[in-house]
This record gives sequence, C-alpha cells and structure tokens, in this order.
Amino acid sequence: MSASKPVIPVPRLDAAERGGRRVFLRQAGAMGLLAGAGAPLALNLLAASQAAAQTASDYRAIVCVFLFGGNDSFNMVLPTDTDSWAAYTTTRNQAPDSIALLAPGTAPVAGAAAGSPARLGGVLPLSPIDAQGRSFALHPLLAPLVPLFNTQRRLAILPNIGPLVLPTTKAQYNQRTHPRPASLFSHNDQQFTWQALGPEGTTRGWGGRIGDMLAARNSRAAFTAVSASGNAVFLAGNSVRQYQLGSSGPTRIAADSSGRTYGSTAVTAALERIVSRSRGTHVLEADLAAVSQRAIEAEAALRTALPAAGTAPFGTPPASGTYNPNNDPLLRYTNPLTGAAAASGLAQQLQVVARMIEAGRQGLTGVTRQVFFVSQGGFDTHDLQNRNHADLMARVGHALAYFDGVMGALGAQNSVTTFTASDFGRTFTSNGDGTDHGWGSHQFVMGGAVRGGNLFGRFPTLATKNTNNNNFDGSPDQLGNGSLLPTTSVDQLGATLARWMGLTESQVIEVFPNLANWNASVRDLGLFSA
Amino acid sequence: MRRHAPVRPLPGRAGRVREIFTVPFPLLAAPRRHVLALLAALSVAACGGGGGGDGAETPPAQPPVVERPATRADAARFLTQASMGPTEAEIDRVVSLGYAGWIDAQLALPAVSHRAHWEARDAAIRAATPGSTAGADQVFESFWKQAVTGEDQLRQRVVWAMSQIFVISMADDAVGNNPRAVAAWLDMLGEQGLGTYRELLESVSRHPMMGTYLSHLRNQKANARTGRVPDENYAREVMQLFSIGLVELNEDGSPRLVGGNPVDTYDSDDISGMAQVFTGWSWACPSAPDNGCFSQGSVDGVSDPDRTFKPMVAYPQYHSTDEKRFLGTTIARQSAADPAASLRVALDALANHPNVGPFIGRQLIQRLVTSNPSPGYVRDISRVWANNGRGVRGDLKAVVRAILLHPEARATPTDTSGKLREPVLRLSAMLRAFNYRSDTGNWRVGNTDNPASSLGQTPMRSPSVFNFYRPGYVAPGTQSAARGLAAPELQIAHETSAAGIVNYLRDAVAQGVGATNTLAGVTRRDIQADFSAELALAPDAAALVDRVFTRLLPHTTVPAELRSEIVAAVGSIAIPTSGSTATALRNRVNAALLLTVVSPEFQVQR
Repeated sequence: MSASKPVIPVPRLDAAERGGRRVFLRQAGAMGLLAGAGAPLALNLLAASQAAAQTASDYRAIVCVFLFGGNDSFNMVLPTDTDSWAAYTTTRNQAPDSIALLAPGTAPVAGAAAGSPARLGGVLPLSPIDAQGRSFALHPLLAPLVPLFNTQRRLAILPNIGPLVLPTTKAQYNQRTHPRPASLFSHNDQQFTWQALGPEGTTRGWGGRIGDMLAARNSRAAFTAVSASGNAVFLAGNSVRQYQLGSSGPTRIAADSSGRTYGSTAVTAALERIVSRSRGTHVLEADLAAVSQRAIEAEAALRTALPAAGTAPFGTPPASGTYNPNNDPLLRYTNPLTGAAAASGLAQQLQVVARMIEAGRQGLTGVTRQVFFVSQGGFDTHDLQNRNHADLMARVGHALAYFDGVMGALGAQNSVTTFTASDFGRTFTSNGDGTDHGWGSHQFVMGGAVRGGNLFGRFPTLATKNTNNNNFDGSPDQLGNGSLLPTTSVDQLGATLARWMGLTESQVIEVFPNLANWNASVRDLGLFSA
Repeated sequence: MRRHAPVRPLPGRAGRVREIFTVPFPLLAAPRRHVLALLAALSVAACGGGGGGDGAETPPAQPPVVERPATRADAARFLTQASMGPTEAEIDRVVSLGYAGWIDAQLALPAVSHRAHWEARDAAIRAATPGSTAGADQVFESFWKQAVTGEDQLRQRVVWAMSQIFVISMADDAVGNNPRAVAAWLDMLGEQGLGTYRELLESVSRHPMMGTYLSHLRNQKANARTGRVPDENYAREVMQLFSIGLVELNEDGSPRLVGGNPVDTYDSDDISGMAQVFTGWSWACPSAPDNGCFSQGSVDGVSDPDRTFKPMVAYPQYHSTDEKRFLGTTIARQSAADPAASLRVALDALANHPNVGPFIGRQLIQRLVTSNPSPGYVRDISRVWANNGRGVRGDLKAVVRAILLHPEARATPTDTSGKLREPVLRLSAMLRAFNYRSDTGNWRVGNTDNPASSLGQTPMRSPSVFNFYRPGYVAPGTQSAARGLAAPELQIAHETSAAGIVNYLRDAVAQGVGATNTLAGVTRRDIQADFSAELALAPDAAALVDRVFTRLLPHTTVPAELRSEIVAAVGSIAIPTSGSTATALRNRVNAALLLTVVSPEFQVQR
C-alpha cells in the first residue's frame, strides 16, 4: 500500500449484500490489512457505509462514567429527614476528622480547613417529584447538578444499587447458602462485576453485549464501543471490541502530517505493515498486531470525521496558537482545595465522547448506536476523605454539567443517556478520617430522555451501629459497618438502558440472565418515558 | 456480619503441608550441579503425580535441566527473563558461566543505593538553585540509571518485578511528595526482595510509605462509645495482594475446590480482625510513643529526619487490645496493648499460609518468564518456596533461582510461552542493547505516563495498588483469550498506547531519550547512543539491519519476512551521491532501529 493511509473503500453493505464481503476480504488481504484476530474489525471497517439513511434523530448512545475506587455515595446523596440525619451525623462525626457533612443552609466558614464540612457549607436540598416521605440533598460541591435535578429534570438518582444475583434480604444475606456475587468488597472484582456481571477474568461486559445486539444498526461496528479511559471490560462483547480513544482524539502512528517517518513514506508503509501483522504463530504477537491494526484503521477513519476540540460547543476556540484542553475554561473545574481553576481529565474524556457523538449523529462514523466509557479515579477514600472526596465531587459535578451542556447545544440531549457507576459504595461508619469498602451505592442517570428529578428505587433506611456489635439492627438495608445491601441490581439498570437502546426483551434476558430472578414488574426501572 | 466457617483447622493443614515438605530438596543453596539435579528430579516427581492428591493436573513431561546455553540465542533468551535486556557482554558472561553460575555471580553483587543517588542529586540541585529540591524525577533517574547500567541486572529485574507486586505509587500525592522515601523503598525491595518473604512482608507492612499509601499509618483502634472503627485498607490488601489472595490454592496455583467451588481465604470478619492488628502504628519519632509523634511525626518541632522510610513504630495507646481473630488464628485480648506482638502473629500467619508460595511465586514467574506457567512449574516453585533445602521457607533467592532454572523456563519457546514485554522493559532493552549513556550521568528519562505520547507506564507510578495490570487479565476478543490464556501486559495495550509508544520510540531513536540538556554548547536529549558502528554499516542496508538484529533480537530467530521488509525500507532511503550523506545515513540507522523495536517480534519475550 502507499505511504499515505489507505483510503478504505466504503461501499454500501446491506444485510442482503453480504456476499460483497468476499471482495473486501481479498482486497484487504492484498493490502496486508488482515491479521488474525483483527479481521472482524477490518471487515467492519471495510464494510462501512456512509449510511445515507442515518439521521441525527435515529442516534442513541449510553455513556458510563465509572468512579474508580468505590465512591462514598453516603456523602453524595444524603437523606436529610430527622431520623436519617441524626443517624448520619452520629455515625460520621468521628475524631480526628469528622466526615459528617453539615445540614442544609449551613453557611460555609471561609477559614475552616480546605475540604472540611465547615468549609464546604451545608448540603444542597433536592426537590424530588416523589420524596418517599423523606427529604434529600446533594454534596455541597455538586451545585452544578442541582438545577439538573430540581428544575430541568434531566437528572435522576438510583438509590442503593449494586450487583446482586437475586433479590436479597438482610436475613437471606446472613445465610451462607443464599447466592451472592463473588468477591464482594474487592476493588478489582467489583469493578468487573459492575461492568461485566462477573469477577475479574470475565471477558464480556454488558455494554459490549448491548453493542453486539445492535451492531447490525451500525455499518461501522468498530466504533460501536468506545472508551476514552483505558481498556474497560464493560465494552467487550462477543463480536464488538472496544475502541480506545485518547482525550485529544486518535493518535496517528509514526508518520508526520505528510505521511513520512524520518522523511520517508516507505518507512511509514513498512512500519504500518510490521506493527499490524504477525509473521510468526505466537498468540501474543498476533494480539499485539491486531491492536496496532485497529489503531491505524480507526485513526485514518476518524482523522477528518471528528469535529475539532477547540470549537463550540465542545471547547473554547483559543485566542491564539494551538488549542490546549488543559487551558480551556470550559473544561476546567474549580478545585475546592485551592480555589483555583484546574484541568479536569474527566471533562476532557467527555469532550472527546461528545465529538464522537456528533460525528456519529452526522453520519460520519457509520454508527447509530454507541456505548461509551469514561472514568475518574481516586475514590478509594480510606483516609483524608474530606479533601479527596471534595475534589472528586467538584470534578464530577463540573464534568457532568459540562457534558449536559454540550449535548444541549448539539440538540442531542434526548439521544444520549449518561450514568455513573463505581466499584462499590463504602461503609457508613468512619475510621476517623475516611471510609472502607462497602457494597450498594447511589448513582446518577442523566439525559433528556430520562424522567429526571426523581429517585428510582427505595432509598435505604440509615441507622446507627449497635452498641455491642457491628450490626445495624435498626436498618433492613445495612450490613456490617453500615454498608448497604443493594435493593436495586445492576442488571435492572442495564436492562432498562438496553431496552432504551433498542434491545428486545429476549435480547435483554440474554445479556442479563439473572434478571429472570426478578418479578417481571420490576425488570425495568421506569427511567424512560414509555 | 456474616459468619461462615469453611473448615480450615491449622493442625490438619499443617499435616498436609508437612507432606509437601518431605519432598527431598535439601541442596538448593548448595553447589549448582546439585541444584540442577534436584530441579530435574523435582520435575520428574511432578510428572509422577506426587502432588499430594490435591486434584491438580499432572503436567506433561519436562526435558532435563540444561546447565549451559547451547547457543548465544539461548543465553540471550535467558537474559530477557533475568535482566533488563540482553547485551553482547552479558550474553558472553552467561555463555561462560552457565545459567546457574551467572545467577550465583549476580546474587553476590552488592546493591547500589537509590536513596544515595536521590540525596546526591538533592544536594546538587539545592546548591545550584537555592530553594529547589530533588523530586520524583530523581527517583526515575535512579531507576533508569541502575536498570540500564547496573551490573546487578538480576536484582534490577527482581526489584522491577517486586515493585509490581508490592505496589506503592507516586501517582498518589501523599507518596509522591516523599520521593526520597520511594527511593528508599526501591532499596528495600533490592535487599528484602532477595531475602526471605517473611522479612520482606514485615518491611513492606511497616514501611511508612506503605502506611501512607494504604492508610494504616496513624490508624486507631475502634472507639466503641462513638462507633468509630479501624481503617480496613491494609488489612484487606495485604491479604488480597501481598500474601494469600482471594481463594485457597493448591500447590500448583489452581484454586482448591470444595464441592466444585473455590473457597474464599477470608471474609469480612477476618478483615475486621486483621484491621485491629494494623492499629497503633505511625512514624518513627524521637518522642515516640507520644501522641504528637503518632499524629504529626514530631513533638515541639522535633522529628526524625528519616521518618519517611524508617519502619513505623508502635504506639500502644492507639492499638486495639481486643481479641483479634483472622484466618483461623486468634490473638487473645491483651491486658496491655502490644502492637509488636500482634503484628508478629499476624505476619507469621500470613507468611505460613500455604497460599503464599503458589500465589506470590506464580506472579514472580509471570513477571520474569511467562504469563501462563504450567501447574507443574508453579508446583515446583511452591515447593522451593516452602523449603529452600535447608528448612527455610520463603527464601526468595532460591525462588528466583528456581524460576529461572526451571525446565519450563529453559525449554524451547512455543506459540503461547513467554510474556509481552511491558513498556518499561521494551525501553530498557533498547537502551541496554545499544549501550545508551546519559550526558549528565543522571538518566533524565522523567515521567513516561502518557499513553498517547510516551510509554504509558512509569516505574513507581502504578495507577493503583492493583498494579498497571492484573496477573489474571484475559484480553477480551483476542487469540490469547480464545486459548484461555492470561496476558497481563495487554491490559495497558490499546489503540492509543500502541500509537503512543511507537511515536515515543521514533523520537527516542532519532533524538535520544529524556529531558534536553545544553552541555558544552551542545543541546540534545540526555540519553544518547553511539551509533558510529551502525553508521559505518549504513550504506549496506542488509548489513546494518543484521547488526541491529544482533543487538535487539539476539534471543530469537528473525522471520525472513521481517528482515526483508526492514532491509527494503532502509534501503529505500537514498544516500546522496554528492553533498553530505550524514542525514541519510542516520535516517537509515533510525529506520533500522525503529522498525525492529516496534515489531511484535521484539515486543514479545518468548
């Protein structure tokens, strides 16, 4: 092939025209593009269609915002009714560093320690459509999300959600024989379980499986599942493979803008063949080559398809010079520990997701259904929780509001649903300046199609620790250290999102087999208008 | 919380373990000829299924141990496992000494202090720019300096491996703000990583950087009145990651099944019990155990200047006196708090747990030799772990030696043997192969985190205590996954990092590596190779490429297709017939190197 990137032929490929694939296979082989495990992607790319029938109105995407480390959602969504608040304050106000946030209306104290509850001021009241006879508030630094919940109604709360095999009461949990997810409380395993319904080692995630079911709607399946974070099992399907996209867009391999490496197009061409082909029979060589092959093909396809980062509504055009997302005020959040604006990796990931979404809606990437994954790390707040969690809440609040704003400007709010997830919730108890590993947690779902301003699922009862043991007999929802026993399963959330994306009921059950353990009446959380 | 009792009475277990101990293996620390014979015997014993009825599969027959490399390629392949990258000189040494002889010679070499490098650099930086100090960059400097130029290559490789099992990370600000202590951590791994596991585990557990990273430094006993509980962080991770893992293992590393199901090694009650052990530990401090020392590391402004790396000390007033139960061990209620006694019992219980050998041993195999060791390989290493031949458990020198000398490590490579070289090893192999040197002597490689423009991996900057990748990672949708194989390093290989590392190496080959210096009027990157020999060959593309292969791929047979591809590309760079030829010749050298280091053949350690 020539030194410049091959122009990949993109003939139409309807279901009835599959015979055409053979032609592409030969072409691809002649171009040296096919190498082992990369073949399905090459086929998908080669089969790509400009999909003239696509319109923005037919586009849908879900975006997973994963909060790595186990978010302390006890301090993210707070019940403020008298009993709950008393249990919360009693439990979390511990020496040496109280992590009990303060009541609504408490004025911030400017001189208090950075990140401390006093410095932050009171929690921010919510006005849910159905408050379940209680009252609720958000972390003081989630101010950008308050109007999304209270007035614009594009933000919903999922109380006490987590991995479950089947509905489980506290009494059942205490029986060893009652099935439960493997390796609860373990970071890596519960990250996998949230994303892939099984512990570490699982190789199929439910985002990728949803992609499998919808791939026929995408002429370029390669862009069905996109991570702006690292490799995420969430996006791995049976046939769908994750495409990893850096925050600033795809990275071109080796060549400069004129296609040269060390001044030579021949070196570029040789390099592309060498990295993307495996000459021997070693499996790891083949696996590596497949990654490089996808990188080359995808970069060529996206080079011109993605709208520029430094243009509205994705970013702010630079006054001069090259666009730098670290300096873009739109992507900077206010660091509560310094009071200064700072770059946000989470916002930058969501920026490239927004660019991909717009390219998809414009029919430039051959997709009508996409699943995205972004992440923010640092939530394992065993200590120094006040400082660290305050900073993280500020990042999350800013980034979600930024993304909602961009979707609004694009007119894409109704087409994109964003949800948060995390390894697990944390303990209700304090270890003096932090919290330990728990299970159930509260999460957000955001989007124009979401019936926002409400809680979907029963908010748990919060009690205090027994005097003589680590049980929480005052709550049917709390286990040792006050960790939450989930009352909503990840499967119920996944199934609800999957239906919205267009999966049939049988496909939903195929992706989420444990859903059969729930009554049909609760297999959908009702997040979306019928 | 839940109370379950998977029956693991220690007496019964000890009985089973004793059987294992009776495997005759008395001479591992003795002359190498005997060691080799024993390894061969062990291997045969494993073939006979003498594993004690744990239901593990009988491994296939192993070839006998080879004491000396048959070829230079064999020696080079050994060095891909035992060093930070083969060099011509080191290959010569392996050929001359034999495998075991080389290991013995390496283990006799003294360690060089990373902390000493950091402190010398700190003094120089302060002298040059008052108010400045050394930082994280000087930790990276020392890592790379030793990785590339250290004579004690085996230690370098083991430290790099250990740093990925016993993880602290400067990506965490609280650790990153103490770079001198991180340098000291590397020194600790260099010493204890080739000592005994029990001592290593104690050094890891009491290191204030681990205490900072996993938050057991300043951890306090429960307060029953207020409901405060101890921090469980280290209690959990020391079990999950640094000692026994999540499920009970057979000697060969496979999960022990009861009724077809794996058995959890611990539950929440064990975590609670272990968490009490790790209360009442904080900074070394002149006024310890004063409360101010506990919380601040100082009293009246007086602190220990080395507190960030001196082992944490006990503060009994913050240590739980309650009865502590974990892993079938009980520490009785203490009339007077005795943190040291609690710790000793807990670490003994962990170090003596039968999981440790297969759990940590298997990971060491994965870091050094292969991502997918056979059950027999793991079992043989577990036995050496259990007893080095002189009754010592967890002798890490013996374990490393056995891993590298094992027939499976020395056998002819297969399509599934070996491992993917992680980015740090790819760069170190290139730098060693071409004898790169630092203009300043400081090895200013710097932070190499960014996957889009750099290695996507920096030593001592793992994103979490779970390392850059997991030992059990199976890469979805790959050929390795289809064959049921783990491929840990593939967890950080994706479209962005695949492009990023190529571009990083492109510039590294052409311009050198690391930060730019101006020395004697010359401005260039700090780490440079002398390519004069390659430049002399550059007019002859085939000769140039063959020399590059000799340096970069001495351990493998290069496919003819790869050679012809690179020779053609290099040859296509025309050498002007008039005027300067320097640029063209250098571009030929650059192309020959780059096309080789980006090849899958170079990236996989077979």
